[in-house]
Amino acid sequence: MASLIPNLEHSPDMSPEFKRKKRRKTDETPGPFDRNQGSQRIKRWRTEREQQIYSSKLIEALRRSRRTSSSTPAKEVRETADRVLAVSAKGTMRWSRAILASRLGVGAKTMRKHKKAKVTANRSLRKPEIKGEKRKLPAVERKLKVLGRLVPGGRKLSFSNLLEETSDYIAALEMQVRAMTAITELLAGAGTQPPTDRLGSRINS
Amino acid sequence: MSSRRSRSRQSGVSRITDDQITDLVSKLQQLIPELRGRRSDKVSASKVLQETCNYIRSLHREVDDLSDRLSELLASTDTDSDQAAIIRSLLM
Repeated sequence: MASLIPNLEHSPDMSPEFKRKKRRKTDETPGPFDRNQGSQRIKRWRTEREQQIYSSKLIEALRRSRRTSSSTPAKEVRETADRVLAVSAKGTMRWSRAILASRLGVGAKTMRKHKKAKVTANRSLRKPEIKGEKRKLPAVERKLKVLGRLVPGGRKLSFSNLLEETSDYIAALEMQVRAMTAITELLAGAGTQPPTDRLGSRINS
Repeated sequence: MSSRRSRSRQSGVSRITDDQITDLVSKLQQLIPELRGRRSDKVSASKVLQETCNYIRSLHREVDDLSDRLSELLASTDTDSDQAAIIRSLLM
């Protein structure tokens, strides 16, 4: 599934000239406009405001999910944190849509079935070709694959799109860590210290 | 330059030039704390990708640890209303 939103600035013009230059959406290289958008998005993850919005949404979601916890509490917290993070991305990035899509059990299962079939077919074709010598992908391609597995929804992406997703994903993860650290410190300190101290320092910062 | 272009048109798989790869990799390098200060021509693409993977994995681990601690804290705190009041006052 190609992401449509980053390519909004390109009109769907199908003149022959355009067709020759037509780039596949997954292979779209980021133009100058894209780069501005990208860096603006990344800057947003680093703002205090974004972190506060995320923190309050996360706490709300955690309080709601406490009543209906199906898996272990820690996993529940992790999944909630990831889900709220994906929602905070407002659907602009592929990794966020991949996280939210994976919540829907049926869709994810059918996707996985298809993926498995593809992998085994490839393996059986390759084996007779190789005689003693292991065919290794170049180092960069191998690491790119690993990166594609780490970033949600990153497996099918082209090089440039994967790097763009990675940049945004890393910025979002950093915010997630900052927010959760702050919340943990608040809850841990709340039992022992009077809240007025922190309230004062909070206002001043 | 023209040979590169014709080659990529034939392959149809990647139309990305080496320059673009270098550019994107250096962009990525700026995000990784480990590699931020170093000159981009001294760090190979492979190293940048390796460090990126390591960094993402360490971030995931941190989130997991924080989830653990957070779940314990949420379980041990007595009343919901106490938590809510504290957190609301501190976030707004």
